[in-house]
This record gives sequence, structure tokens and C-alpha cells, in this order.
Amino acid sequence: MLQMALTGILCGALLGFVMQRGRFCLTGGFRDMYIAKDNRMFYALLVAIAVQAVGVFVLIGAGAFEYTVGQFPLWATIGGAFIFGIGIIFAGGCATGTWYRAGEGLIGSWIALAFYMLMAAIMKSGPLAQFTVDARTPVVGTDSIAETFGINVWFLVIPFVALVAFVVYRELRKPRVKIPSLKPKKTGLAHILFEKRWNPYVTAILIGLIATLAWPLSAASGRIFGLGITTPSANLLQFLVTGDLDIINWGVFLVLGIFFGSYFAAKMSGEFRLRTPDTKTVVRSSSGGILMGFGASLAGGCSIGNGLVMTSMMTWSGWTALTFMILGTWTASYFVFVRPSKQRAAARA
Amino acid sequence: MKKTLEVLGMVCPFPLIEAKEAIKELNTGDELEVQFDCTQGTESIPRWAAEDGHEVTNYEQLGEASWTITIKKK
Repeated sequence: MLQMALTGILCGALLGFVMQRGRFCLTGGFRDMYIAKDNRMFYALLVAIAVQAVGVFVLIGAGAFEYTVGQFPLWATIGGAFIFGIGIIFAGGCATGTWYRAGEGLIGSWIALAFYMLMAAIMKSGPLAQFTVDARTPVVGTDSIAETFGINVWFLVIPFVALVAFVVYRELRKPRVKIPSLKPKKTGLAHILFEKRWNPYVTAILIGLIATLAWPLSAASGRIFGLGITTPSANLLQFLVTGDLDIINWGVFLVLGIFFGSYFAAKMSGEFRLRTPDTKTVVRSSSGGILMGFGASLAGGCSIGNGLVMTSMMTWSGWTALTFMILGTWTASYFVFVRPSKQRAAARA
Repeated sequence: MKKTLEVLGMVCPFPLIEAKEAIKELNTGDELEVQFDCTQGTESIPRWAAEDGHEVTNYEQLGEASWTITIKKK
């Protein structure tokens, strides 16, 4: 228990720290592909997926642990991921993003988080548990893309890594404008850790390494998976209302670690302050949290569990979920950002 | 002319959206000061200003999670 608590919190804290300092926001990244025609954060996510894919398949190849891929619940994945994508726009951050923004002191994220945990618990062990099981029962075959085509997984991983390397190389060669930054007040390591703007690709490599590290740490506690947010968040709430210690697992400590890591990063950088949202934001965050909890439970993962981890495992569910959660964020972005902006412009004209 | 936009309490991407809207109302050479407290804005607002070719004449942190940036319209 103690080892599980320590490694879980440490891994989570590293992730929370890196995400806060690196401004690693998948919601913003998916949204900006559409509203700002900016794919940088999406490419950064692909880098993190590539790093983790190589890391985890090397570990599996070396016999560090065994991972069995399940079946692919096509419709639950599509529907859940799309709803999740809508939810993260309303909540102003994905599941992990909400955990780390909660650590920055945003009360709106505390509220989104509470509703997210509640809805995930309702879907997993509450009145909607049977619905979740029924919705995820119809499957269309193995979840492993490599198994479907009867090939070794490295025939997927290597071309994928090459593709990501090419995309990043092309991005880095683009002429860049100099972006004004704050005058440095710190020097040396403190400047790098608590002040400097981090390059998103460096952040992504760090996140890929942390996501890889999560596997052996979690497997040592008997939970054979990598980073996961939704189930552990539900587990935390289930434990709090039942007192049943058996519910606690490595992932619960991981999500708590994200909160503390982000708090530490924000506090040390002068970026922590309790900030209260207005009524409109509270309503939006609450509904976002509910949609996130519903969608992630239905899809079997959030932007981390499906979008970062199951993608790197080269599964159908990971890539399908990633595609549809992006479409969900675009749909919600149209109604939340694009249409109101057009309406205001029309009103002025 | 200088216009001040206060977007405290707004979370990303609203500070940026508001800033984009506000600058449309200004003439070339006018300045827009944005006061914000959304951490992610420290990245997105100066990036937008630079990419759109506006000049950032002042950018500083005022206190814990509180920033101001002044953008001169191109």
C-alpha cells in the first residue's frame, strides 16, 4: 500500500508539474485545430503517443509485464468519445486538465471535477452501471489493430514514429515569429522550472516518458495499465462514500498526485490563486463535468486513457476515441465560440 | 488612444476571444491593455499578438496569477 501510494503520487505529481508548466492542454489543442487552425498541440500529443508506444512495447518485449488487449466496443467508443469532447469544451479542460487546473486554484475546475467524478461513479457503480455494461457489450472484434491485420505491432509503431518525426521536423522548419515573453525574474534552474515558456514538443516528450514510467509502476501494484484518469477519479469518490479500502488502487494516487504536482508548480511560479468563476461559467463547468463523466465512462477512457494511452497501444478504441473526441470539441466549439462571435459581428454591422 | 480590457476570472480561451474582438474596434497605432488571470493566456495572448503582427509594448506579471499585456494594433 505504501509503495503504491508513493509511486502513484510521485508519477502523478510529475505529470501535474509538467502539464502545468508546459501548458499542456488537450482541450485547447483540439479546439484550436478548428478555431485557430493551429495543430501544434495535436502534434505534441502525437509526439507523446509515439514516445510512449516505443517505451511500452520495449518494456513488454523485455518481459517487464504482459498486457492483454480486449475487444472493441465500436458504438460505445464513438458515442462516448463524442460526448466527452463536447463536455471538455464546456468544462474548460479535459479530465486531466481539470485536475491540474484545480491545482492552480480555479474554483470552476473544482466544480467541474466534482461533477465529473460523480457522473463517472454513477456510470460505473451507480444507477447507470447496467447501462454502461449493456452499451459496451456489442463488440466488433479484437481491439488490437496489429491482431486485426495479423502483423507484429512494430509494423505499426515504427511507421507511426517516422510519420510523427516527419510532421514535427516540418513544423520546426517553419519560419517562426518571436513571441514576446515576460522579463525573467529568476535565473538558472529556477528560471527553467518555474518561469520559462516550455517548448510544447519538449513537454510532449516528457509526458511520453512519464506515461511510459506509469506502466511498470502501476503494474508493480497489480494494476496493469498506464495513465488513467476516469476510473481512478470514480474510485476516489467510491472510496470516500464507502470507506472500502479495496477500491483504492494505483490510479487513485496518480490523480491526487496530478493535483499536488500542479499546485506545487503553480505556487512556485506565482501562478496559484483561488479564482472564482461567474454564474455562467459555473453552469457551464458543471454541465461539462457531467458530460465528461458520462462520455469517458461510456467510451472506456478520457483524453488520457484513450487519447494518450490506448492510442500508443495501437488499439482501435484509442484511435477511434481520439478522432471522435476531437469532432466533439469542434462541434461544441462552434456553438460556444464561433457562432456567438459571428452573431456579435452581425449585430455590430 | 488606449483601451483597457479586463477579463479577470475568465478562463481560456475567452480572454483571447475578447481581446481579438476588442482590437477590431481600434485603429492602427491604438493600444489595447488586457488584464487577465488565466494562466494559459500567458502563452496564447502574446502568441496571437505576435502572429498577427501587432506590437507588444508592455507585458508583465502584476502579482500571483495576475498579468497585464499591452498590444499596439498594427
